[in-house]
Amino acid sequence: MCSACGFPAAPGHWTEAGAANAHDRLRGRFRRAQVLQRVLPSYQLSVHETTDIPGIQLSTMTGSQSIVSHLDDVWALAEKVNGTPVDPLDRRFIGEE
Amino acid sequence: MSDTDGRIRLVILGGYLGSGKTTWLRHQLHDGYFQRALVIVNEAAETPIDDALLGGSDRLAVLAGGCVCCDAKQDLIDLLRRIADDRSRTVSTQSPLDLIVLETSGLADPGAIVEAIRSDPVLVYHIVVSEVIVAVDGLHGMSQLRSEPLSRHQIEVADRMIITKIDAVDPSELALLLATLKAMSPGAVISGAVKGESHNLPDFSEAIAETLPDFAGQDLKAPISPTRLYLDDSIDWTAFTVWLSALLYARGNDIVRVKGVIRTPAGRLLLQTVRKIVQSPEILPEQGDTREDNIVVMIGRGFTHAQLTKSLRHFVGVQAG
Repeated sequence: MCSACGFPAAPGHWTEAGAANAHDRLRGRFRRAQVLQRVLPSYQLSVHETTDIPGIQLSTMTGSQSIVSHLDDVWALAEKVNGTPVDPLDRRFIGEE
Repeated sequence: MSDTDGRIRLVILGGYLGSGKTTWLRHQLHDGYFQRALVIVNEAAETPIDDALLGGSDRLAVLAGGCVCCDAKQDLIDLLRRIADDRSRTVSTQSPLDLIVLETSGLADPGAIVEAIRSDPVLVYHIVVSEVIVAVDGLHGMSQLRSEPLSRHQIEVADRMIITKIDAVDPSELALLLATLKAMSPGAVISGAVKGESHNLPDFSEAIAETLPDFAGQDLKAPISPTRLYLDDSIDWTAFTVWLSALLYARGNDIVRVKGVIRTPAGRLLLQTVRKIVQSPEILPEQGDTREDNIVVMIGRGFTHAQLTKSLRHFVGVQAG
């Protein structure tokens, strides 16, 4: 946003904007991994969170590993592995047959 | 006496969803333009967001919960009649209102608003539409012109076009957009803006306008409509953004706009997206009306409110209703 007429923008990737301090950021990383781990196994991926590595650690079912910097890259990798994107409006998430 | 015959001038600021209307207006107010104007903000959704950003205006009115070119047209007429009536009663020692700026919703056709005012037997004596300004998204404008009839209607009635986000566009694509806009509305003045600030446009005299597809006789896509998503108090920003980032990745072309204020440990965050592009969230001050916090407006097609709430619940394991 324009620094003259707007309010300050939160730094970093937009998904990390909710953290006020280092504790929030750490909690956010674990929470992010928890949500991703609910979703990604059915897309042949799993997530691993260790706080010593920046980024998001992903591995495929065949064992290949990647570290990506933010969530957009996670969804891009999931699409590459599966040939189709993770769609939150897919039947598996909205319970429609 | 001016050419307005003592009537109130009305500037209509239109433009497609996420084209940068509020950003541009906010900067104009900051720079001292429209200072004595009454600013009317219309939002199609019931949750107004933009009014929170227009603190630079002394006088502000909000019309939320319907688009003033169609559903809420009568609300606009009623409001303008009240304003005209109040002005007529103003004693001569007070400075009378002489300018109104109406920021329309992104779903509005400014032409329909002009027509409604001109055909109203009362307003025609009190209000004259002095200018229709249309914000055009430099980044998405060309694809909107190709696929959305509404975006063409907006261009066709513009007296002035503000091409926004021009720093984010490839110069050849920008030239194509400019040439196409010029061909559609040859009389309109075109200028450029970045985050509301005026920026020079490149020379596009060599560019050739694109011939846009004809919509006649085609089955048009489902209409774009707003949906409000209430976030339960227990929802956390991180979980919500994991869901939203996946949704925008998969459905960004159909989820045209997302707006909302969400409470987080870092404060009240203003979340805004245009298709797949997410703005860095602004941190809003704590004061002000917070009743609409944790309500996210999603404008687009191809989903229902029930599907979104179910999806969010299943995806991240929180309640949303």
